[in-house]
This record gives sequence, structure tokens and C-alpha cells, in this order.
Amino acid sequence: MVKRKIWIITIVTLIMVMDCVPAVAVSTVPYHTYNYDYWGYIYYAPAAYIPSGNVSGTGAGSGPFNNPQDIFVAGDGKVYVADTGNNRIVVLDSKMKLERIIDSFQYGGKTETFSAPHGVFVTRDNMMYVADTNNFRVVVLNGDGTLDRVISNPTSEVLPEDFVFAPLKVVADYAERVYVVAKNMFQGIMAFDENGNFTGFTGTIKVNITTYEKIWRRLSTKKQREKQIQFIPTEFTGLDIDNDGFVYATNIDADGKQSVRKLNPKGQDVIKKSTRNISGEVPLSGDLLWRMQGDYAGASRIVDVVYRGSGIYSILDFTRGRIFTYDDEGNLLYIFGGRGSQEGTFKNPVAIEALGDTILVLDSYRGEIMTFDETKYGNLINEAVRLRYEGDEAAAVELWKQVLELDSNYELAYVGIGKSYLAAGDNRKAMEYFKLGMDREYYSIAYKRYRDDILEDNLGYILTGIVVLVLAGITVSWIRKFNASIAERGL
Amino acid sequence: MLSREKLKYPFYCMFHPFDGFYEVRHREKGSVGVALLLVFLFGLSYSINRRFAGFVVNYINPRSVDSRTEVLGIFFAVLLLACSNWSITSLMEGEGRFKDILIVLGYSMLPMVLTFIPATVLSWFIAQNEDGLYYLLINVSVIFTVILAMIGIMTIHNYSFGKTLVTLIFSFIALLIIIFIILLLLYLIQQVYTFFYSLYTEIILKL
Repeated sequence: MVKRKIWIITIVTLIMVMDCVPAVAVSTVPYHTYNYDYWGYIYYAPAAYIPSGNVSGTGAGSGPFNNPQDIFVAGDGKVYVADTGNNRIVVLDSKMKLERIIDSFQYGGKTETFSAPHGVFVTRDNMMYVADTNNFRVVVLNGDGTLDRVISNPTSEVLPEDFVFAPLKVVADYAERVYVVAKNMFQGIMAFDENGNFTGFTGTIKVNITTYEKIWRRLSTKKQREKQIQFIPTEFTGLDIDNDGFVYATNIDADGKQSVRKLNPKGQDVIKKSTRNISGEVPLSGDLLWRMQGDYAGASRIVDVVYRGSGIYSILDFTRGRIFTYDDEGNLLYIFGGRGSQEGTFKNPVAIEALGDTILVLDSYRGEIMTFDETKYGNLINEAVRLRYEGDEAAAVELWKQVLELDSNYELAYVGIGKSYLAAGDNRKAMEYFKLGMDREYYSIAYKRYRDDILEDNLGYILTGIVVLVLAGITVSWIRKFNASIAERGL
Repeated sequence: MLSREKLKYPFYCMFHPFDGFYEVRHREKGSVGVALLLVFLFGLSYSINRRFAGFVVNYINPRSVDSRTEVLGIFFAVLLLACSNWSITSLMEGEGRFKDILIVLGYSMLPMVLTFIPATVLSWFIAQNEDGLYYLLINVSVIFTVILAMIGIMTIHNYSFGKTLVTLIFSFIALLIIIFIILLLLYLIQQVYTFFYSLYTEIILKL
């Protein structure tokens, strides 16, 4: 009997300890987890994601990856790796075990291979798009590996004569329009129609020349001007597409202002920017602060983006190996990841994908896929943002409260809770929470209602007060007049 | 001590700047003490406004507000401005004395002293689309101060308006030169200090 009791106690203890494991791991991630507050200050936050393992080519069963450049997670959970150095596409199942290797296809009666494929994309109906970089083409394969079509040699008046089409990243929307990021193509993302005809550029980034630079250029001679750096738009680096056909594209921004764009089918940037920052706009470009020189210097170099549903997207910073996640309103939700040689850190992070709630990051130097699992903290934020995105802010409140228990600096949570108080009519509480969440707009709404309530409740007193004051004034002036007239008569 | 009359005089100057500042120059109606008091009060109300203005209009990080530095900084700025203006106007046939310039600068701050704290209180009771009133108050008082200072400088030096503008531009350049010289001086003093300090440590270690 005693023995059995001990067993039960042991098992119960074990279960409890197992439950604690993520909490222990949170404090031991090999990088700092932090976020930026309204004032742009860094504050240390709990880890939203923790490293949960890494998958090498050997581990998956395909032989080691050689300088892989892209991964893609298809709708059915299969993971496609563009194993650039080995000229192949490796398909893994959702448990990260080898399913098949695609390294050749039949084209015009011949067996053709890939040459340094840099990008891979799979549509919902299992069409695979491969950016076959060194063969200067995009190969489209059916689900069974047979060739569907090849996109190559785009011709257009807007393309220079000597243009070489070397695709790096590719995505396709539901109408089989194909968007390609090509090497040395600064004019924008190349768009192709369903027949593979080049239709134009989309998402062109305007070059901003400051007045100072304009004056300087005006003053310099022609010879000097030739020697100066040319003002060319930045290159796009990564692509993703959501279910509605909006293309998420990343680019390099040395100023750290905007490194991710959401392009509608017309090619306009429709991404939302949050005003929850003292500068008036939260930069969509990773870190807000960085050192100017030395190791890991400069603004975040954003190389890839993954759209994770419900308006949430994550971008990958190559410079410091960090992953920044934003919501549909452009708020920075959480930051994790870092460069280094420990487990869970990167050498050369090049691509990011999401497999359910797990984040996959491809490291080209190590030839490994790093996986990150969400913690309770990350899960609460994700769920709360999802509920808010679906319009169910009331249900999100409980989650925001739990977020605050883990991280009392989380401004979005205060705003979320404030909104529920506002809806419930508790304007005073709402004001308090909006102030903590630094949301002036909602604070004003709550304050106006609060002020109206007070005025309404005390309208009787206020009106009485005014009447009494007016009467008093009349009486005083009447008495004065009376006195004056008496004095006059007395004289 | 400060007489009641002297304390009330800035109010007269505020609404009758030409007469008021003329009498400061020619009939000794002004007081440097009152002027410095007003500068101090302005520094205080400025700092209070930065720290305690309502949430809706306050974009100042409370962690960056330091009242002592701000008050001293404003004193320093007024002193610099007075010095630079004096150094220019004494070369350009200005009739005002250093004392007069100081009094003009101090007295012209009265509108800001009078509005900053009421505006701060007002800002507690407004919502975001009503902030126009708050900014109107602040801006009107700042413009009022600038106009008063212009008129004052004009009157005490017996200048035309155009000449006042020219001297003010020159004053600004003089101000930059003064700052440059101060920085240079500080740097040199520091160099000399480090020289003697290293000499001292050398001797101490050798002994």
C-alpha cells in the first residue's frame, strides 16, 4: 500500500515537473528576448518562442543540405527545401522526415535538372514553382512531378536589352499569376500572367533623395557625378502570399523604416502602420535601435517574410538573426532569435516559414532548419491577436489579462483590456488602461464619455449653482444701487 | 527689496510695450530682480507643463524631464541672448544697457508665465479633438512673448524695426560664436587640468 502511494506521488510529481519544463526553458534561451515600448526603449520580455530543435539534411534522411536558400511549407504541412548547392528540391513531411527528392523532370523529351534553385513555392492545388536560378527560368511542376510549364526569357520594352532573368524567389496567387524576385532587378517584383508572359513590375519602391543630396548633385560636375553612388531602389529579398492574393515582400532598408510591404494585385503597398510609437509610426523594419559600427552593426537586414494568418506576419533579420512578428495593425508583437553558434541560434538565416504554430528558420551555412515552438506567452499573444482580428475582442480580454501576468509592460494588452472596459461602460477603468497602453485615441473616447457622465449626473447641481450665482449677482447690484440712491438722497 | 510697484510693472509693459519699455530705459522703472524672477518662473512653468500636461497632449517622455536642468538652461539661454545682443548693439549705436536688455527679455516672458500653468490645467480636461484650444493658448503666449521682446529691444536701443531685425540676426551669429568660445575654453581648461593631474599622479607614483 505504501509502495503504491509512493508511485502515485512520483507520477504526480513527474507530471507537474513536466508541466514546468517550458517555464524553465524560457529563462535559458541563448539570446535576449525583448521588445520596444511606446517611447522606443528596450524592455526585456519573456520568450515568445523557444528553440525546439534543428533538422539537418542527414537527420531528415536526404543527405546533408548544401547551402540551402529557401523553404516553403505547403497547405498540407509538407516542407519543401530548395537545396541550392545540391541542385534539388527536398520534400519533407510535417514530421520533418524525407518524403521525396525532386532533382529532375521531363522537358521536351529530355531529362532536365535544376541548377542552383534559390526559391520554391507550392500552391494549394500542389503546383510547385521552382526558381531555377542558374538555368534562368522558373519551372512549374504538377503534383506528380511532371512539367506544367516553364517561364523564361521575359521580353518587354521596359526590360533592358542585355537583361538576364535569374529568378531568386517566386510565389503564385490563386489566379496563377506569378511574382518573381530576380537577381539585379531593382525596378520591382516581376509579375507574369498565367501563360508565363511578363506583365510588368509590381511594388516598385520609390527612391528618396534628400534635399541635401539634390543640392550636392547639382553642385558637382558631370565627372564627379559619374563617380558618386547611384541612387537605385533597394532590391526585394523575400516573398510570401496570403490566401487573398496579397503579396508580402521584404526589402533591405538601410534607414530601418520599412522593410516589408503588402502589395495588392495592383502593386500598391497597403500595409498598415501602427501609430503606437513616439515618432508617430512604428517602423516595419525590425530593430529600432542599432549600433553604427562594429559587429552586427546597422539596421536590420530583412531577408524573408512569412504570413501566418489572421494578419500576423514574421520577418527575419539577417544581421542579428532575429525574428520580428507584427500584427495586422503593424504593432510589434514579439522578438526572438539571435546569431551565434549555440543550439537555437543562427549562422546565416536566409528563410523563414511557419508550420502551424511552429516557426521554421533555414540556416544556409549550417544547412539546417531550426524549429521554434511557441511558449505560453507567445501562444497567448497569438491567440489574443487572432481573436481581435476576427472581431471577438471580448473573448481576447481574458488572454490579454494572462499576458499581463507574464509581462506587465505589454502595452497592447492594456489597450485590449481597456476596450472591453469601454464596451462595458466602465469609462474610468478604460481611461486608466488606455493610458497604460499609450493609446490617446481611445483614451479620448473614454474620457469624453466619462466627462459626459459626470456632467449629466451633476447637471442639477450645476444648473442650480448657475441660477444661484446669477441671482446673487442681481441682488448685489440691486443692493449697491439702493445704497447709492440712499447715499444720494442723504446728501 | 522689490517694491509693489516694480512687481506690477511687467503687467503694464505687457499691454503698453512701447511706453513701458521706454520708461525702463529712461526712467528706471524696471528691475533686474523682477526680470530674473520672471525667467525663473518661466523655467518652472515650462518644466511643469512638460511633466504634468494631460496625457492627450503630452508627448514628452517623463523620464526625460529634469526641472533643474531646464530652469538652469533657460537662465543660461537668456543670459547668452542678452550678452550677444548687448555685444552687437553696443557696436551698432544701440542705446540700451545690458541691464535693460535683461529686463526686456525677462519682462516679455510674462505672457508665457501666465498661460503655461493654466494651459497645463486645461489640458487635463480635454479630449484629442479639442486640443486646439490648448495649442492656441500656448502658441499665442509664445508669439506674444516674441513680439514683446522685439518691441522691447527696438525701444530700449531706439532702433527702427528693420535695424532691430538686422541686429537680432547678428546677435544670433554672436551667440554661436560665444558658444563656440565657451566650448573651446572648456576644452582647453580640461586639457590643462589633465596635464596637471597627470603631473600630480606621476610625482605621487615616483615618490
